[in-house]
Amino acid sequence: MGREVAESCVDGVIMEMVSAYCNRFYSSKPELAARRIEAIGFQVGHQLSERYTMERPRFSDHLEAIKFICKDFWSELFKKQIDNLKTNHRGTFVLQDNQFRWLTHISIDASPDNVEASQQDSSSPTSNNAAQFTSMHLYFPCGIIRGALTNLGIPCAVSADISNLPACSFVVRIKA
Amino acid sequence: MASTACFIIVSRNDIPIYEAEVGSAPKEEAAHQHQFILHAALDIVQDLAWTTSAMFLKAVERFNDLVVSVYVTAGHTRLMLLHDSRNEDGIKSFFQEVHELYIKILLNPLYLSGSRITSSHFDTKVRALARKYL
Repeated sequence: MGREVAESCVDGVIMEMVSAYCNRFYSSKPELAARRIEAIGFQVGHQLSERYTMERPRFSDHLEAIKFICKDFWSELFKKQIDNLKTNHRGTFVLQDNQFRWLTHISIDASPDNVEASQQDSSSPTSNNAAQFTSMHLYFPCGIIRGALTNLGIPCAVSADISNLPACSFVVRIKA
Repeated sequence: MASTACFIIVSRNDIPIYEAEVGSAPKEEAAHQHQFILHAALDIVQDLAWTTSAMFLKAVERFNDLVVSVYVTAGHTRLMLLHDSRNEDGIKSFFQEVHELYIKILLNPLYLSGSRITSSHFDTKVRALARKYL
């Protein structure tokens, strides 16, 4: 266990997965595509959390598990840690990553490299399409976080906030 | 040296997903009691698991001369072993190796989490590990 894969392969698989679910499988129903992508992320997060917690002792409370996600889990996945963790001590955590690795290949404005945007009607606001395209890509890491936390015993809901790219915030709400 | 040993894996929903008699002694009439003892020990494991952050909880319960040892993973899956030997290091190594095998089963995308482990390969490997460490 512990064979490695090139990062470009991971990028390619994720881009193709999002594009397949959005444009081919559920082209008229983006909510369903989003749910499927998130479910794939859920299973991946479930498996990854089991694998990365193997060597270390178990967690005593929720904060320990969230800190594990911010430090060890994130550095295994993205080679860096979460830059900022905020909480309201009532079950909501905000994980902020100032340079989210999987978004670095997506340009912020709709350029010709961005195939999805160029296929859209040119009269529709391009910023809206870029935002929707980016948010589709973020369902997968949201699912990964949710799967990892659920496996550690913390049922939660995870959403992503992309108000200022390339920084990306994940909001984790623990279900009471 | 002949030894009795019964090994089960219990998922986080308290459903046994794998059971095996891994002792080297011939199967005796009281073997059906082993599963019963292991299931009864689950309550004790539940209490004990929250008191410590270690994975390997040593002997959690005794029954006659048989001892129940438990290893809890981060996902709250319990690997429980009923045995009569006293080789603690061997048991800890056994648990760690089975944990690694279990993770490999989990990484299979077609494996539904919490369902029974039906792989004969897994079964063969667990029995080989038991012969080696117990």
